[in-house]
Amino acid sequence: MKKMMAIGLAAVTAASLLAGCGGSGSAAKTESGAAETSAETAAAEQAEGGEASKELNIYMWSDDISESLVSEFEKENDCKVNFTYMSDNADAINQLTAGAGDKYDLVMTCDAYMESLIKGGYLEKLDLSKIPNAEKNMNKTYWREDIRDYCMPYLMNYIYVVYNKDTCPIEIKGYNDLLDPQLKGQIGSVDGARNLFPIALVALGYDPNSTDENEIKEAYEWLQKYNENVAAYGSTEQNLVNGTISVMLAYDGNTKWAMDQMGDKNSLVIAPFEKDPVQLGMDLYVIPKGAKHQDLAYKFLDYIADADVMAKNLDEYPYSCPNDAAVAAASDDYKNSPAFNFDYKDNIFFQEDVGDALTIYDKYYQMLKVNAQ
Amino acid sequence: MEQVKTKRQGKHRLGHFFATLYIFIMYAVFYLPVVVMVVYSFNDARKNYSWMGFTTRWYAKLFSFSNTSLWDALIYSLIIAVLATVISTVIGVLGAIGLKKFEFKAKKFINMMIYVPIIVPEIVLAVATLILFVTFGIQMGLGSILIGHCTFCIPYAVVTIKGRISGDNDTLEEASMDLGANRLQTFTKVTIPTIMPGVMSAAFLSFTLSIDDVVMSNMLAGGSQSTLPVMILSLNRTGLTGDVNALTTIMIVIMVISMLIYSAIRRRMARKEAQA
Amino acid sequence: MTEGHIQEQKKEKARRKKSRLPMLAQAGPVSIWMILFVTIPLLFIIYISFMTRGPFGGVVYKFSLDSYKTLLDPIYFTVILKSLRVALFTTVLCLLLGYPFAYYIAKQPPERASRLIMLLMIPFWTNSMIRLNSWMLFFQTAGPVNNLLLKLGLIQKPIMFLYTDPLVMLGLVTGMLPFAVLPMYSSIEKLQKNLLEASADLGANPSVTFRKVTLPLTMPGIVSAIILVFIPSLGTYTVTDMLGGGKVLYIGNIIKNQFGSIRNWPLGAALSVLLLAITALLIFLYTRFARVDELEVV
Repeated sequence: MKKMMAIGLAAVTAASLLAGCGGSGSAAKTESGAAETSAETAAAEQAEGGEASKELNIYMWSDDISESLVSEFEKENDCKVNFTYMSDNADAINQLTAGAGDKYDLVMTCDAYMESLIKGGYLEKLDLSKIPNAEKNMNKTYWREDIRDYCMPYLMNYIYVVYNKDTCPIEIKGYNDLLDPQLKGQIGSVDGARNLFPIALVALGYDPNSTDENEIKEAYEWLQKYNENVAAYGSTEQNLVNGTISVMLAYDGNTKWAMDQMGDKNSLVIAPFEKDPVQLGMDLYVIPKGAKHQDLAYKFLDYIADADVMAKNLDEYPYSCPNDAAVAAASDDYKNSPAFNFDYKDNIFFQEDVGDALTIYDKYYQMLKVNAQ
Repeated sequence: MEQVKTKRQGKHRLGHFFATLYIFIMYAVFYLPVVVMVVYSFNDARKNYSWMGFTTRWYAKLFSFSNTSLWDALIYSLIIAVLATVISTVIGVLGAIGLKKFEFKAKKFINMMIYVPIIVPEIVLAVATLILFVTFGIQMGLGSILIGHCTFCIPYAVVTIKGRISGDNDTLEEASMDLGANRLQTFTKVTIPTIMPGVMSAAFLSFTLSIDDVVMSNMLAGGSQSTLPVMILSLNRTGLTGDVNALTTIMIVIMVISMLIYSAIRRRMARKEAQA
Repeated sequence: MTEGHIQEQKKEKARRKKSRLPMLAQAGPVSIWMILFVTIPLLFIIYISFMTRGPFGGVVYKFSLDSYKTLLDPIYFTVILKSLRVALFTTVLCLLLGYPFAYYIAKQPPERASRLIMLLMIPFWTNSMIRLNSWMLFFQTAGPVNNLLLKLGLIQKPIMFLYTDPLVMLGLVTGMLPFAVLPMYSSIEKLQKNLLEASADLGANPSVTFRKVTLPLTMPGIVSAIILVFIPSLGTYTVTDMLGGGKVLYIGNIIKNQFGSIRNWPLGAALSVLLLAITALLIFLYTRFARVDELEVV
């Protein structure tokens, strides 16, 4: 097997040399190939308190972190940061459970899976003293006590209701308003069992992370009615902008885009909820068990938790952020964006790990989407 | 008699007209999304959801080489696709012939196995392969992605080429052997040319499958690089950006140009041969 | 055993080896590859399907039939029927649209034919996500189609093309068509011209020639096309999610979710085994009823 890889690598080197295309790219590739094989020795040295790592491998979303900030980090620490991209939160979980320490030093995941990941022993416990910037700047409401030792939050997202006040036939003040028959075919919605069911559970007055099958079943019945009003699941913000739909249950980042798109004629408003809480999700960095370049991983975490660095990042990637100091230092454009300003920001719930009940959710989610139509 | 002939010719011409029209419409449908893609690569919007005005900034960004991550991903994908195509086509050609011609104990079994990667959703095979690779301590990276790609390309290659081989291949091969050619000569001079369109189809399918794959490329990736499709799928969470369209446009332009050069060279060579 | 005997045996072995060499060289690589990278993972999948979902979403290696018991839920019957229907529609359309297309190309001079094939493949070297996004841009309410129709006064308000069944079909068929065209092309190309001429000379009209000569002789290509289109469209979900608005789940979605957010690998594995069984059954029935023994499908 190893031989086969070697042949493969050799072939690539040969092929890229022959093709002579994109000199820099192919050269980088051979280098990283060589670096991979020496990774083990590097880790061994590091364990003995030897040299610092020269390479940091991160698994995260693409187009989610400022490139110029990353290259600054590379310069400061004389290292190369490699990114591999995930296409689904579940990808990160699959990688972590299969044992990601060989490949990655930092993995981005979300809070909903943290409990399982910690209990399953897939993560390194963090030495928080190595990330003083996070200790100093991070809002502890979001950097929750129960998972704090294993992760550092990066960005976050609210899932709330937004609607076009000119075209939406009703005023929406709570999740139950979404069932109004006047909204038939008017709603664009986020998808996924663990995004949809908590909303129904909240609307029914239950715990959004309920594990009681009867409650989940009731939520399913609620969602059946909701489903009749939904035009499409997924990214639907372009439909809200061009007027195909008038209501959207979506992430605040997508809403920001839609509001920016409408510019001065923005008629989108965040639904003025009276008592229903909204979901807040976290994108966090974790260090997988057995990661090889942990020294650099800590440096990177501390770097990105710095108020000024994160503020610059927010200007480029305007999403909600748990780093209070960075938010304070961010540009006015970011701070004044209507997508992030609503008065019930503290009335939130988190997606928690529901353990085995996940399969119950899945069962009813399947029923919802299979028996529809 | 004369009249009948002209009538037939007229009918023929009409048929020809409709056939050409049909082909033209089909190509138009295939190229429509490509045209839209090219147009929107000049779209002055952060997210490619609607037209916001003309710009060339995505191209400027790509050619400034200030950030090469998209280029790196493209080159990585191309290297993998070319290697996967070569490996799958070679194994596919040999396999299709071998599985047609010879009788051996495991033949039925192998024939069944060939359908498995087509039937089983890719994610399932990818997860199983990932766990096995990790269990056996296999280093992830280009090699593992390549193995993943070949695993689903080979079946497509075998099935396509098999559709091309049939009884009269044997007759031709026997004739060639009778005329004193050895096995290798027969294989390269008789067998391969007769199945060439099948080989070409297999190579095209393999390349198409590999260059667009996300699941295997994602699961079996090493720590240092993603392929372009994985990067693009990852963008899908927040919306596709214009630079991706621009890069794909560049890729298509390069491919069309190299195709034109290739056919020009072939034509010149054919002419020279005809002269000689 | 004498020295000579052993020598003799060695020679015999070598001789047999030599005659086996072409077989090993040709059928060997594919067999080894399939066993290493398909059979072993497949056995592992079957093994997992009999295991238990762990409390943290991993696999606990404890025998259980839970996953297969779950499959008895009629919901999976409905899902599979829906998926089969979509796959069937896609395949029929691909064959109907693809056969004349392949026929036309195959009848061109070889040089031109290979250029036409290239021309067919180039759009498919762009990313499928981008292509799907392009379809959405093209057909959205503020897109070029609606704008044109509005300007021409043919419609008063934009038509909702997105999230409709015809658009999903368009996405599926345009995505799958090369997988139908290529095998049919390579099979039609082989059809000797003189055979068709002979048939015509013998007085058969074009439709008879097509039914009695062309169609049977290009059957292997058609079968390849059916396999390469029908089976993958059975497990598809990206097109239906993006162009269909994600309101309906297909078997592909459900399996993906088991290996994704739901993390129920045993159920995902069991569903894959079910999918394998269904496909094997279909292929078996097909070979039975179509009596295409020569094709040795499976």
